[in-house]
Amino acid sequence: MPRHRDIPLISRRGTLAAGVAAFGTTPRKAPAAPGPVPPSGGIAIVMNSAGASISIVDMATRRLIRDVPVLREPHHWTLSPDGRELWVGDASGDALFALSPTTGTLLSHRVLSDPYQLWVSPDGRLLVVNALRLNHVDLYDAASLTLIRRFYEPSMPSHLAYAPDSSMVYSTLQGTASVVAIDLVKNAVAWRARVGPAPAGIVWHQDRLLVALMNAGDVVALDPVDGRVIRRIPTGRGAHIIALAPDRRVIYVGNRVAGTIDALDGQTLRPFRRYTLTGGPDCIAFAPDGKLWISRRWTDSLAVLDPATGRFELVPVGRSPHGVFLSPMLDLFAANGRAALGTASL
Amino acid sequence: MIDPFVIDPFMALAGRLQGGIVIPLLYRLDLMQWEDISFGWSLFAVYGLFQVLITWAIAMPLEAWRPVERWPGRRVVLTDMFYTLIARVGLLPLVTFVLFYQVQVHVNGFLVDRGWIPPMLERLIPPLFGHPVLTFFAYAIILDFADYWRHRISHMIPAWYALHALHHAQRQMTFWSDDRNHLLDDLLSALWFGLIALLIGISPFQFPLLVFMLRFVESLSHANTRISFGRIGERVIVSPRFHRAHHGVLAAGKRSCNYGAVLPWWDMLFGTADFSPAFAPTGDLEAPEALATGGYLAQQSAGLASLAAVFRRARKAPAGSSSAGIRG
Repeated sequence: MPRHRDIPLISRRGTLAAGVAAFGTTPRKAPAAPGPVPPSGGIAIVMNSAGASISIVDMATRRLIRDVPVLREPHHWTLSPDGRELWVGDASGDALFALSPTTGTLLSHRVLSDPYQLWVSPDGRLLVVNALRLNHVDLYDAASLTLIRRFYEPSMPSHLAYAPDSSMVYSTLQGTASVVAIDLVKNAVAWRARVGPAPAGIVWHQDRLLVALMNAGDVVALDPVDGRVIRRIPTGRGAHIIALAPDRRVIYVGNRVAGTIDALDGQTLRPFRRYTLTGGPDCIAFAPDGKLWISRRWTDSLAVLDPATGRFELVPVGRSPHGVFLSPMLDLFAANGRAALGTASL
Repeated sequence: MIDPFVIDPFMALAGRLQGGIVIPLLYRLDLMQWEDISFGWSLFAVYGLFQVLITWAIAMPLEAWRPVERWPGRRVVLTDMFYTLIARVGLLPLVTFVLFYQVQVHVNGFLVDRGWIPPMLERLIPPLFGHPVLTFFAYAIILDFADYWRHRISHMIPAWYALHALHHAQRQMTFWSDDRNHLLDDLLSALWFGLIALLIGISPFQFPLLVFMLRFVESLSHANTRISFGRIGERVIVSPRFHRAHHGVLAAGKRSCNYGAVLPWWDMLFGTADFSPAFAPTGDLEAPEALATGGYLAQQSAGLASLAAVFRRARKAPAGSSSAGIRG
């Protein structure tokens, strides 16, 4: 296996810019310090992929509170095993940033190769990172963030989902129309299967995998045993993201080309409602009031969609917003554990 | 319709371009795996188009107001306009990206596997973190320094100058001339800056207006206008007079001066600065005529022929001779 060094960021002066905690070769975490008081309605933490920043938004007032600088290109997030840190991958910055999930305060960061999509396994043991630019799927020990194994994939590992028992992880490979399944017990590839053009979002649902195909107008259901396509569900053109509502009763599919979001019945997988949302709808986060916070990649904004009425409000954030975390998700995490957030990267 | 919510007009146009043209095109061509990266190109194209328009709006009146030279016709300038458009709206960078994407993936992957992750400038100088504008200018200075040496070396190596002569052959130099380069010369530049990126990381791209300012200085420095920035200003930033000295007929080839693109500091530091007040005629008297007055394809073809001629001369030169093909 190739050698890999996971290098903590070095600060010779102990501290960096204001608001950024101390970094060092040994302690990479900041000493506990009082952070800003979070608004009572919670905050949205938004990764601005073309703005090298993370926007902190007051969920109640829909106003931008502040922007937190990162290195280059923040895309996605996951919660640390204990839920006390929000980890944000800065892909071309080759860095993993840790923020307070309640205040958005930057706590630390460390060097990590091309962290595009990332998610901690349901059992909290592993962090799997998809390096879209460098064609790796990396398995890290989630506690120490040391690299366990690197899998070299042909082209563009994008989204990922775990089996609920953490025995497998599945990554879509955008460039080769396929999905790779990695056995996390044996640390070996279990299968690779062609599933359709430009697969992106992937979730585990009802003992199947659902995969959105960007170069098609549908979602496919796969048998997780071998990756065989067992069903096609027509949605809109450019199906990109799949998001399971916390109650699993509705599945939302974002269609990048059509500029729509389709709602699928969680039981039958039949589309029952379509919302029009232009501007490159992408990641979806669920608020406690049932509204969907959706990043719009090409319009520097989030849409807060009320699925009951189809109306949405727009919230200004930074350039090309991508991943969205809502601090009330922590309540789900605290009450029901990691599985409450789902087993797929968001 | 442009999204009325988006305040940044560049972003609004880029979003419109992305949603209305780029994404449907990628979908039709079965290339949706590139949809994320493609937005960067849409932004690049929109900013590039504005660069061209703003540069034209400012440099054109300056050229009319105080021209260094007046020409009976401007047909050859049309070719330079073509170079500018394909370079600034992204077609040429797109070709470079497509050609080098896999190379970059493999080189970066190879290095990462050996523990080399490009050390961002903010990692080398931690106080820069959290000060993105300062970081941008630090990158700009370093990259300008790197470009000084790339440019200077391109004059020193005969094979490279055979390509670079295309840039120098223009006798009707205007603000459109900045991007007239041989494709292979552009590829060498891309490789050069790819190497720099492995050493100091990629520069932050979240400041397109600052990038715009730097590119504007480069375009303006080629303008056919009798403008100098004065005794002090000439030593702070490259002026049309300063860069014209580099394009002077006597400065073509190996013994040139004023290689700096934005900052004259490197020329001052390494003894290649020329602050004489003259506004020399431009061109390369020894370059094939097609490089000066041919169309785009003729110029590209002539550049390749010049390169082949350098290699032929090098083969015929006696062993130990290093001067084959060197002019100046």
